[in-house]
Amino acid sequence: MALEKEMQTYERELPNLLQQEGKFALIHGVEVGGVYDTYEDALKAGYEKYGLGPFLVKRIQAVEQVQFFTRDIVPCRT
Amino acid sequence: MPHLTLQISPGGPILDLLVGVSVPRAAALQRAGQPVPQAVRVRGLVDTGASGTCVDPGCLSSLGLSPTGQSPIHTPSTEGTPVLCDQYDVSLVLLHPRLQFTLHALPVIASSLSIQGIQALLGRDVLAACLFVYDGAAGIFSLAF
Repeated sequence: MALEKEMQTYERELPNLLQQEGKFALIHGVEVGGVYDTYEDALKAGYEKYGLGPFLVKRIQAVEQVQFFTRDIVPCRT
Repeated sequence: MPHLTLQISPGGPILDLLVGVSVPRAAALQRAGQPVPQAVRVRGLVDTGASGTCVDPGCLSSLGLSPTGQSPIHTPSTEGTPVLCDQYDVSLVLLHPRLQFTLHALPVIASSLSIQGIQALLGRDVLAACLFVYDGAAGIFSLAF
């Protein structure tokens, strides 16, 4: 799966990031590139710092929020 | 409050959308001297049973996107264990002859939907910025934003 390293970094850094719960973390490889108030701000910073990627934008949450779909969608990769 | 009112089709409350690369990605493509892919016109079903928005992978691949997020999801077939899915950043425009509603950056999940006659599910992440009225008796629905 894509962004594996970034997800590992997020999980490792989560205890520190939780001081800013609800905001959006920008992560590239093993580095936290910053924390931003909105998804769009984090995305903008990601494209400015890391070009066309890869990077991860993730909302900081103590408990991961799961998305629910009553329709039986089949997620897939592009 | 600007609003659009449309007929409920046999497939439900469906409307036309433009899905494109997000505004930050478009800026990055321009900085890199690469062309910005043209937004794709799709049919989207308003789905109050969807926490988030999904787009058909055919549409996302034509935009040349890479994932910039991940999110766990539950569906009727995940049987109690959430599945981790890639998310892609897109821009979304709700099309109507008289007005437009634009989201510059929205995370979406890729999901095969074309077989259902639609290419997008418009979830509650988008509805969070709207007033949605479903008038089944009159056969119409409205979105105000």
